[in-house]
Parts: sequence; C-alpha cells; structure tokens
Amino acid sequence: MSSSPPLPPGAPQPAVKALFCPKCGAAISLRALGQAVSAVCGSCHSILDAKSPQLQILQTFEKIVSSDPPLIPLGTRGRIRGTDYETIGFQRRSIKVEGVQYSWHEYVLFNPYKGFRYLSEYQGHWNDVAVCKEQPVIDTRFSIALSANYLGETYRHFQSTNATTDFVLGEFPWEVRVGEQATTTDYVHPPRMLSREQASGEESWSIGEYMEGKDVWSAFHLPGSPPEAIGIYENQPSPVGPNIKSVWAAFALFALALFVFMISFDLHAKKEPVFSASYQLNTGQPVGEASFVTDTFDLSGRTSTVEVKTSADLQNNWIYLNYVLINQDTGEAWDFGREVSFYTGYDSDGSWKEGGQQNTVIVPSVPPGKYYLRIEPEADPRHPRISYTVEVIRDVPVNGYYGIGFLVLLIPPIMITWRAFSFERSRWSESDHPPMPILNSEGN
Amino acid sequence: MFRKLYLLYGMLVISSVGFAEYRGWSMDSMNQLKNVPKSVRDNPGSYRSIYSGYHHYTGGK
Repeated sequence: MSSSPPLPPGAPQPAVKALFCPKCGAAISLRALGQAVSAVCGSCHSILDAKSPQLQILQTFEKIVSSDPPLIPLGTRGRIRGTDYETIGFQRRSIKVEGVQYSWHEYVLFNPYKGFRYLSEYQGHWNDVAVCKEQPVIDTRFSIALSANYLGETYRHFQSTNATTDFVLGEFPWEVRVGEQATTTDYVHPPRMLSREQASGEESWSIGEYMEGKDVWSAFHLPGSPPEAIGIYENQPSPVGPNIKSVWAAFALFALALFVFMISFDLHAKKEPVFSASYQLNTGQPVGEASFVTDTFDLSGRTSTVEVKTSADLQNNWIYLNYVLINQDTGEAWDFGREVSFYTGYDSDGSWKEGGQQNTVIVPSVPPGKYYLRIEPEADPRHPRISYTVEVIRDVPVNGYYGIGFLVLLIPPIMITWRAFSFERSRWSESDHPPMPILNSEGN
Repeated sequence: MFRKLYLLYGMLVISSVGFAEYRGWSMDSMNQLKNVPKSVRDNPGSYRSIYSGYHHYTGGK
C-alpha cells in the first residue's frame, strides 16, 4: 500500500480558476492553478492537462466506474500538523496478490504556501504522507533491500508489489493516468513507513505516519464517524509495544521489593520455640481415650503465626494427629489435622519413597496469650508403637506468599508481551516476510 | 497508561503480601472456633475434632 506521488514542480501560486471541460462542457475549478499538472473533470472524468490553457484532454473513458466515492469530499479543508490544507484530488489504486485485489485510496491535499501533502486510507487505516526531503539509504548488502535508513531511523522492508491506478478525481501534481502501473516498495518503522515508487524510469520516496480515523475526521470536521479500521496495518503502532520494556522494568523492581520484604520479614521474625515434647503411641494396647492435652505455653508478641511441627519415626507407616490449639483464657481455638506418612520400597523402576517423617502446619493470626494443645493421635493398629515429637514455634514467616506474589506480578508482563508478539505476528503475516511459512492444503 | 496501571497493581500486590505476612496469615486450612469449654483442659475426650475419622492412605507405591 504505497502513497508516493512525484514531487510537485514550481513555486506556490495561490489561485483558483474556473474553466470548462473540453469534452462535456462541465465547469471545472482549478484550486491548485499553476501547480497542478493534471485535472479530472468531475462530470465525465476525462483527465485533462492542467498546464495547457484550454485543458487539453489526456485520457477519456466510455464508462465511469467508482463504487466508493471519496470519504473526504474534494474541496474539504482541514488542518494537518498545524497547516490548513484543501482536498483537491482523489485516486483509488490497487494491487493484486495471489489473485486477490486489494484497493486503497489516496487524497491530494494542497496549501498554496506549503504545497502538496497526501492522505492514504486502507480499510480504515490512515496515513499522513509527505514527499521525503532527502533520499533514503537502502541497505544493499543482500539481493533484496531488507532495510532503508531515513533521517537516522531504520525501516524494515515490508512489501514490494505492482500498484495500478484504478480511478482518479480532481487535481494532481503529476500526469495521472488510469491504468498506470508503478512498482512500490514499503519499509516500516511504526508508526512511520517509507514508500518507494518506480514508474517510467522515475523514482520517488515518500514518508507516511499512521493516523487514527478519528483524528482525520477531527482535522477535516467531517460528519459522522470514520470507518472502523479492519485488521492490522503495516505501520500501525502496537497498542502495547512501547510499554513492554517499562513494564518488565517495573516487574524487576517489584520482584526485588518482594525479595527485600522476604529477607526483612525473615530477619525480623522471632521464630521462637515455645513448646517441644515427645510422645509414644501404643496402638497395640488401647487404653480408652487416646486424646490428651499438653502443658500450657506462652505465645508472646503481636498477633502472628504459630508453627506446629510433627516428627515421627516411621517406616512404611503413618500416624494422624488431630490437633486443637486452644487459648486457655478465651477459649478461642484452631482445629486442624495432620498426617505424617513415610513409605519406601523397591520395584522394577528401582527404589522409591513417598511422604516424609515430618509435617509442618502454620496456624494463622494467633493473638498472644497462654495456650495448650489437645492432641488426638491415630495410627495403623498393625504397627503397635510409634514415637513422635511435637514442636511449637512462635512467629514464623510464610514464604509461600512471596511465591504467589511473584506469580501474580508476572501475569501482566507476560500478557502484554504475548499481546505485542501476536500483534507483530499479525502485522508481518501480511508482508513479504511472514513469521512462518504458509502451508498449503497438502501441508507442503 | 498501562504502565501506571501496572505500577498500581504491583504496589497492591506487594502491600497485600506485606500485610498478609505482618498479620500472620497462613495458607494452611483449619477450622477456627470460639468458646471451647475450659473443661477440655481436664477432660480432653469431651471435645471431638471435626477432622476425626479422616480416611488415611495406607499403601505407598
């Protein structure tokens, strides 16, 4: 999709002149008199030589075909980059890729003091286009030019194709012809694109910058709303691309902050052992009630965690302990159960083991006070004697939160990176350099 | 815009982690009870844990 008409000749001479079409006699107003090279009769669409005094006919048509009139009517004035322009010309051009025709529109804008400027539109994507002030430098290291440099920016080759002019209306600063063909090459550096156009031994370069349809509508005070942009255009700026680096940098800072939090809480945690006792469970000789209570112990400091650690000397066996941590004074309690089981063996895959001889549970938000544990052990009656130890530790850090925090922090950067990746993938899938080879129906 | 939102989001996550750690929250599941009778201290069998009768795994590989 290229928009690069030849350079306008001559100095600006603001003038409007009313003439008549030599073919149909319709009145023609030349808005860029002295600078327009071609003019198109709005009635019979004959292309006329705007330089000749009597508007010599350059091209005529038996039938006028235009199913899509200009979205910006000729004669509409608008402000682009602080300068007022008038829309004086419109053309529809197309390319054919794999038998499919793709059309876009180009508008010629004119300001008597600033000269010509162009707007191109393809499926709701707009570009503000100007002729390059200097010749871009093409990277000629390879057989095809993969990049071009213009004003210190490197543009990647996007697409080379042959464009045909299908329909013209208004005035043009070059000798426009319907059916005229040109080789166009586009290079992109979103939101800008460089276009090279070669026709009849001449070459011209233009630079375009992506515009939102609403900005065009606002600039030209057009009624209604612009057509919705379809798909992703070759120089359309990625909605998330510029954020990726800063978001990952913010993520790194947050991850560091989490790490500092973790170290800080770990250093400040009391990790105070407040109770420890060893017991023996004799399942072979049941003697009534299995549950018992421990001595009381003090939990001091602010409301914080309490770790209950159970260690048991097990081998291919299990023990289950129903715990209740009870505040002696208030009756507030935490009821929980923990199993310790440990199995080992050997089979055709080699040796294996499951479980462990230790289990830890962290009781949350326990206020200070005097506490005791009610313990009710259970075990397999086939294993008569099991020794186990219960330890209670006050104020231990819960490191799992940092892992969860890390993962939660990671979600947005991953999402944004994936979105940017998908956007670029869609962009380049329309280029001469698609991200992956396109497979045909036979998978070749 | 997205960066600002992410900064807010990140600060919310960090402060949530810090708050959870400071308040001594835990990820272990348990049942919190009020007003357990003082008689449990002298008669542990008068209380029955809701986790009693837990079905134990007794196999290994």
